[in-house]
Amino acid sequence: MYLGKTIEELHELLVNKMVTPFELTKEAIDALKKDTTNAIETICEKEALDFAKTLVDPEFDNLLWGIPYICKDNFSTKGILTTGSSNILKDYVPVFDATVIKKLKEKKAVLICKSTLDELAMGGSGMTGHKGITYNPYDSSHTYRIGGSSCGSASLCAQGIAPLALGSDTGDSVRKPATFSGLVGLKPTWGRISRFGLFPFAPSLDHVGYFTRSVKDSAFVLEVLAGSDIEHDATSSPREVEKYYSLVNGSIKGKKIAYIKEINKGIRDQVIKDRFDYCLDLLRKNGAIVEEVSLDRNLLASLYPVYMIISCAEATSNNANLDGIKFGPRIGGETSYQEVMMKARTAGFGELIKRRFVIGSYSLLRENQSVLFERAQKVRHLLVNKVNDILKEYDAFIAPCSGRIKSEFVENSDNVTDEIDIDKMIIENHLGIANFAGLPSISIPVGIDNGFPFDFNITGRAFEEVNVFNIAYVLENELNLKNLSVIKGER
Amino acid sequence: MNFEAVIGIEIHVEMKTKSKMFSSSPIAFGKEANTLVQPLDIAFPGTMPIVNKQAVINAIRVSHALNMEIDHELWFDRKNYFYSDLPKGFQITQDKRPIGKNGYVDVKLSDGSVKRVEIERLHMEEDTCKQLHMADYTLLDYNRAGTPLIEIVSRPNIRSGEEAMRYVEAIKSIVVFSDVSDGKMEEGSLRCDVNVSIRPCGSEKFGTKVEVKNLNSTANVQKAIDFEIKRQTKLLLSGIPVEQETRRFDEMKRETVLMRKKTDSVDYKYFTEPNIVPIRLSNEFVENAIRTCPELANEKLVRYINFGLSEEEATQMLQNRALSGYFEHCLSINVKRAKLYWNWIMGEILGYLNKNAIDISKLKVTPDNLDHLIEMLEKQDLSSNQAKIVFEKMTIDNKDASKIVDELGLKQNSNEDEIRALVDEVIAEFPQSVIDYKAGKDRAVGFLVGQIMKKTKGKVNPAVTSKIIIENLKTK
Amino acid sequence: MLKYDLEIIKKCANNLMFDMSEKEYQVLLKEFEIITKQMELLGEIEGLNDVTPMTFPFDVYTSYLREDAEGECLEKEEVLMNAKDVLDGQIKLPKVVG
Repeated sequence: MYLGKTIEELHELLVNKMVTPFELTKEAIDALKKDTTNAIETICEKEALDFAKTLVDPEFDNLLWGIPYICKDNFSTKGILTTGSSNILKDYVPVFDATVIKKLKEKKAVLICKSTLDELAMGGSGMTGHKGITYNPYDSSHTYRIGGSSCGSASLCAQGIAPLALGSDTGDSVRKPATFSGLVGLKPTWGRISRFGLFPFAPSLDHVGYFTRSVKDSAFVLEVLAGSDIEHDATSSPREVEKYYSLVNGSIKGKKIAYIKEINKGIRDQVIKDRFDYCLDLLRKNGAIVEEVSLDRNLLASLYPVYMIISCAEATSNNANLDGIKFGPRIGGETSYQEVMMKARTAGFGELIKRRFVIGSYSLLRENQSVLFERAQKVRHLLVNKVNDILKEYDAFIAPCSGRIKSEFVENSDNVTDEIDIDKMIIENHLGIANFAGLPSISIPVGIDNGFPFDFNITGRAFEEVNVFNIAYVLENELNLKNLSVIKGER
Repeated sequence: MNFEAVIGIEIHVEMKTKSKMFSSSPIAFGKEANTLVQPLDIAFPGTMPIVNKQAVINAIRVSHALNMEIDHELWFDRKNYFYSDLPKGFQITQDKRPIGKNGYVDVKLSDGSVKRVEIERLHMEEDTCKQLHMADYTLLDYNRAGTPLIEIVSRPNIRSGEEAMRYVEAIKSIVVFSDVSDGKMEEGSLRCDVNVSIRPCGSEKFGTKVEVKNLNSTANVQKAIDFEIKRQTKLLLSGIPVEQETRRFDEMKRETVLMRKKTDSVDYKYFTEPNIVPIRLSNEFVENAIRTCPELANEKLVRYINFGLSEEEATQMLQNRALSGYFEHCLSINVKRAKLYWNWIMGEILGYLNKNAIDISKLKVTPDNLDHLIEMLEKQDLSSNQAKIVFEKMTIDNKDASKIVDELGLKQNSNEDEIRALVDEVIAEFPQSVIDYKAGKDRAVGFLVGQIMKKTKGKVNPAVTSKIIIENLKTK
Repeated sequence: MLKYDLEIIKKCANNLMFDMSEKEYQVLLKEFEIITKQMELLGEIEGLNDVTPMTFPFDVYTSYLREDAEGECLEKEEVLMNAKDVLDGQIKLPKVVG
């Protein structure tokens, strides 16, 4: 009965003692047990209920007090199984908490579940986790995907089970599934939230991100999670954390917003096209200046191969610690340490990520680095320069998250493919721009078509999360699409 | 045909910082296995490196001592390979931008000439975990994993075993005196890999190089290289090509033995460590690190010579940092006694330490008390033989030297009036000695001194006594 | 021109300490074809040589260095609890040679 509410709504109920954290947690855990989307790695039932029981004195200025939340299973949680949805970590129990987990604990938010992901976050389909496919709760026919890699968090948040679900975003792993599940998905500036305890995929692109069902909720959560973590993450920014929650007021008067012609060219659904124009009008109505800009199509098309090379190269090294010696299963290997590693890694990694590791490793070889890894890094630099040129003039740019409202499951959809449709390639990968350049980027619901929600994305200048929130907030208010969930759909 | 050797040396120095290179785990030896470990050290997923300030300061100090250009921006790279002792599957090191580059060190050779050894680079990195090899399995202890290391890579402009040895000694002296490391080769806190090849004199091309490992003393560096040069020369002269391989020095056989043939060189797939953003060091930081560096041996050498030691003596004292530290203490009491302190430290003290196989930190005699003893000697209150006896007592519990002298009743009489009376007494007893002396037999003086010593049980100052005897005899 | 074939790819995989099935290698070979072709095309992008390889998403520097002080360690049990083969408080491996 309290499912499908936002953090703000639940907070109101909690401080007015209409419901206790324990009751909320209990209800959420019961709902988790009924999940039909295969979104769960571990339900933290005992830990959550025990912790919720201790929460008796409401904290009025702390929106997260007693709020149940979900966490992608690639964040280190002390004493709680953390698998990365990979067999190589299927029995790994961390001995320390990720910084974000620690911060949420300090705010008395209640971790109720570790959610599925594409294996070690290296996929975008929601199909490659060791437990199999995670489905989209908006589609009981299991035809359309929710996307990945933060598939489990997206599904559970969209089911209304918790108002907050942590994810990670290396290419678009929060912001892409957000569109297929009608959620607010945020990835702030690189370095804004400490990555300590997040299993690394590609550190130069990795971000902590999360799903909420309202922009204000998202702003408050950022206020809690952001900040320097100088003793644990050398890339975390020492910049002061802004009061995002109170700064989100929908004021976008005079803000300059761009949309990129070459991205929009890939839209293949008239509903999206119309909605886009409608949204631009809403923004203009609220005082923003909205203009079309152009960005080199070849550079945009390079996003996919460049992302593949950089992320795979970094990933091959980041996952070299998974060798079956210190943790993870020992499959056997009585003759040598090489055999121990070989057996553990051969059995432990899925097919897709093994192939990605090989691509990454190959691109780092001495004789290939200049043509592969370094070239990818240079193209990244060029593209980032171009994007930053746009952001010199504009406060943000807006784009559809995908060319389509829904996306079918396609076998091996994460394989490297020779996409001949450049426009499609661009629109399905452009969210990676914000990872390349480390920019704050939010996906927010803008429409529902035949029962399927979809989002647009807003990306702004580094450390200017407030602009991004405000633009999103305007659309949320104007479109009246706050707090979408499957429950609301049913009601 | 004449050959020349081309030798390059890589030295790994384990720093003695309080905490590890990238985590704050303490560094200590001999602790229970796996008790000095933080999540990063055992590479639990999600851990990230944070650079240790002291390790950077140490690297700056050594770079400066080696006349290197110091990079004021720190970048780290990953060296990727799989090995049982490498927890992360990569080592964080500095590949593209070492903190120090293009340096040199001058070393003095036995023929008096000076060799300038060129140094290519100095960088920081981290140590691996320790493997304990049993009969049919291996055990892993992560206490050592992440200990900060400095790697110093020379250019291949070393030409002989002696040059190599002097070079390693010079590096060792710098890291020890700058407090960067214990520099103990025998314990592995300074490790040395040597590349040796030979080529016909005048040739520009390099020969096939052989790597020699397991060198646990500077003497062995020289021996191994000399052996290797001979071995390779013999091969080439018999028309057999040198093979690229790794060898180790066998101390018993005093020769290098094959460990493994080198296959194709490993590709470490280096790339910039993305979890450490570049660190900018201010000029002030770098200058301060250099300015506050403990005094190095070559600086001490100049000072010691100014205090009256010969270059040889000064060099000898600086072979051992702890010994020279003791010497420094003594100097701070009375710099004019530099030579006397040196004599005592290199003589009695070193003898005592060697005899008991202890290190000077275990010596109970304080510099103050030693100085006290030397003062009594200087005043001739004590004969040098007596002083040695007193010193031995001092080593037990550092009892005050003068107290020991009193207790043993050793104090020497130098009072000329009292001695004069004794002289009169013995001359009266032995009139023959006056006759002998007049006859030019100088040993009469020694005889009389001996008689007085006998009478007084050795408690008079022999020099004063002998002077008075001569005065007396001359008047007869 | 990038050089790759089944043998090189297999060696790459084995250097990463895992193996794959023949079918998987065939899929990978196809992926190699596509990605290397795409990357070679990117060599022709204008202005490529005017930029440096980008390691971080934006210019970012720090002057922070951790003070050299001893921090807290894990309990030995925590260090070892995820390892599958432990002996005498240490992780056990088959004898490591060379």
